[in-house]
Amino acid sequence: MLAKQFRAFKSTLDERGIIFSFSGYLSEGILYSLGDALRQKMALEDTNVTTIKKVFSVFVEQSQNIIRYSAEKVQGRLDKAVELSSGMVTIGSENGRFFIVCGNTILEDDMARLKGRLEILRAMGPDELKAYYKEQLREPPDEGSRGATIGLIEIARRASAPIEFDFDRIDADRHFFCLKVSI
Amino acid sequence: MDNLFIAATERSPEVTFDSAVGTLRIKGESYPEDASQVFGPIFNALQDYLVQAEGKALKVDFELIYFNSSSAKALMNMFQMLENAADVDIVVNWQFMADDETMKEFGEDFSEDLEHVTFNLVPVS
Repeated sequence: MLAKQFRAFKSTLDERGIIFSFSGYLSEGILYSLGDALRQKMALEDTNVTTIKKVFSVFVEQSQNIIRYSAEKVQGRLDKAVELSSGMVTIGSENGRFFIVCGNTILEDDMARLKGRLEILRAMGPDELKAYYKEQLREPPDEGSRGATIGLIEIARRASAPIEFDFDRIDADRHFFCLKVSI
Repeated sequence: MDNLFIAATERSPEVTFDSAVGTLRIKGESYPEDASQVFGPIFNALQDYLVQAEGKALKVDFELIYFNSSSAKALMNMFQMLENAADVDIVVNWQFMADDETMKEFGEDFSEDLEHVTFNLVPVS
């Protein structure tokens, strides 16, 4: 029963073209290890260098967004300051493209601003995204954003198709947020 | 004046600053979650150097393979700092792999606002 259950679980992931999927508490160390494995996997498959860099960049920005903004966090001190943020990062391939999906809980209060930003980015073409990136690079960061705007523009710039995003309400105060990027 | 050497880590670049010769080199990858931890010490060393470097020169070599968006922001701040040091003769060499369009484009973006700083795009293979 045990093997059957988990084989079915793995088959579901395989059928969706998932290379790997991480769910749980994400740290900078996990980000580094997953990113390293991702680059090696793509390099072994002779993926072109530009594509590897784009996928890696989107993976890093998506993961760091979870680490910074997930509404489910544990913080504390062990031998050093530790910050763990809960979320999901999934990488796969479909229709000849790589895709990266991140998912995490966000607060109701942050939803409208995030949605607004993503809608603006989704509507922009490559030249507009490039110009917007350059403009934001020269701006002081928004309050409390720890550099969110520039990270989201970087994600949208590397995408080969318009970004996809969605929000699923959990309760009065929280949503599950997903962002999918194809490269 | 103090020199600065910071060894590379998994997610941060190697930094070598020689204040006697007037050279700064930043080499590797940069994607720490908090870019200020990496760039803070470089900013401080540069600031110390630039305030008393009138009539001197500074050469900055960037040999970066990849950096995240918060590092890009820190790099932009660094270029603004260099641009404002009008009394110092500054040359920036922006090295990138010849087939790496992304790093070339970043170099072009960073160089756009610079008037006092000489900015060289240096493709390597």
